[in-house]
Amino acid sequence: MRKQLRFTGVGGQGVLLAGEILARAYVKAGKYGVQVGTYTSQVRGGPTKVDIILDDEPILYPYAVDGEIDFMLSVADKSYHLFKDGVKEGGIIVYEPNLVYPTEDDKARWKMFPIEVITIAKEQVGNVITQSVVALAIATRMNNLDKDLVYQAMIETVPAKAVEINKKAFELGYKEAEEVLAKNS
Amino acid sequence: MPREVVSTGNQLAALAAIDAGCKFFGGYPITPSSEIAHEMSKLLPKVGGAFIQMEDEIAGISVALGASMSGVKSMTNTSGPGISLKSEQIGLAFMAEVPLVITNVMRGGPSTGLPTRPQQGDILQAQAPTHGDYQSITLCAGSLEECYTETVRAFNLAERFMTPVFVLLDETLGHMVGKAVLPDKDEVEKNIVNRKVYEGDPLTYEPYNVGPDEPAVLNPFFKGYRYHITGLHHGPTGFPTEDAKLCQELIDRLFNKILAHKDEIESYEEFMLDDADMAVIAYGSVSLAVKEAIKQLREEGIKVGLFRPITLWPSPEEKIDEVCSKFDKVLVTEMNKGQYFKEIQRASGRKAETFDTLFKANGRPISPAEIKAKLKEMVAK
Repeated sequence: MRKQLRFTGVGGQGVLLAGEILARAYVKAGKYGVQVGTYTSQVRGGPTKVDIILDDEPILYPYAVDGEIDFMLSVADKSYHLFKDGVKEGGIIVYEPNLVYPTEDDKARWKMFPIEVITIAKEQVGNVITQSVVALAIATRMNNLDKDLVYQAMIETVPAKAVEINKKAFELGYKEAEEVLAKNS
Repeated sequence: MPREVVSTGNQLAALAAIDAGCKFFGGYPITPSSEIAHEMSKLLPKVGGAFIQMEDEIAGISVALGASMSGVKSMTNTSGPGISLKSEQIGLAFMAEVPLVITNVMRGGPSTGLPTRPQQGDILQAQAPTHGDYQSITLCAGSLEECYTETVRAFNLAERFMTPVFVLLDETLGHMVGKAVLPDKDEVEKNIVNRKVYEGDPLTYEPYNVGPDEPAVLNPFFKGYRYHITGLHHGPTGFPTEDAKLCQELIDRLFNKILAHKDEIESYEEFMLDDADMAVIAYGSVSLAVKEAIKQLREEGIKVGLFRPITLWPSPEEKIDEVCSKFDKVLVTEMNKGQYFKEIQRASGRKAETFDTLFKANGRPISPAEIKAKLKEMVAK
């Protein structure tokens, strides 16, 4: 089955990494994964989106199809509003509530989950740079992806010296997603 | 064993260069091609090669040409604006017959354009990047695999024909991450082409005294074989000449060494064309959207096929003519204002208005939905 995911933020937040890890995890499992980013020529601060397609069948066109996206995670307000319409009706949106401000209409259209992605990375994990792996773990849980598979791919993808801190980031992100889902079920 | 990797197109182009025997890279970073340079800076020292980031694009190609003249396989890498800057030295490579691989990861243009977005704006630039008469070899990757295989092929063609060879990627292919199955490394190595070397008496060596359809035989510098290299018209030893006959023969040979061997250069893909009622012509990353659209339309019972030139220059003109003769309804789609469409009209002899077209030049990819909508319009006509 095809899953289409989108991570959005602003340039410099490192949202590309999470997508690459998901693609790697799927390929490792003998399936198909593609990630493609769209960004602006601003070095920092430009709206950025990363599309990830995961499928059992080969993927030809690498971009997610607007209107068919199952899941979006956003950590910047301008990217959120620019890209949210790509998410299908009833799809899942995770947003950083300190930085993203959804409208009331949005809350009716999609399943909205506020998670303090950046605060978790900064304060609980201890390094803001791990926000990408926190986001990865949240996406894994929210989309019912194979946790062990993604976890392994993460360990193999992040730099060797950052493995331990990213393990912590993954566990904390995953736990937070579980709790949010339990609270809203 | 074929190798399964998860990678970007840019990383694969760099890996291909190494596997093809590249030992020198000179260049200057430019989005969206910089990762090729980054990878080469990591990979080249491991195989005893050298990487230099120069002060600008012009110096980047200049050192790469110098390295090639001394006998090593050499490359430079850039995007459209960089080709504009390098164009004078590209002319020198055509004229002096210096093999060089130039990867161009295309972005929006003209000028600085849209640095981070995909476009196929450099198709005509690759055909004629510099002044004068010459024949360009331009290969265009249409998948992650081809970012690898076409770069390998570019090195082999550069050595075989003693000429610069362009490999075109676009931002989508350069930056997308996905699975690619690469050919066995031994297989790649077995098929490596190295330039000819003259082994006779150095006193009788005339590098440009070759058959009318053959490339020059340029021995590496500093090995005792002396000759002259110049951008001026030149005779058998490489020294400048204004002799009318020699000047004509030189330019004729720059054409013939390519055109007489088109069978060694031409390549294309036919995708579901056999039983199709309509054809699409597309290349590069656009062909991925076309294939997706074809797959979906076939589920609805609409039979469409794709013709995809891989070698853009010299164009597979007979094949283009054949496809355009077989199908009444032909859609040409490109991420530009129709740069290759001109060649399709020329090769087929069909007028522009007999085709359907879908062109986009705003740095946004063409989606399968847009292609499907266009093809459905064509069905209804």
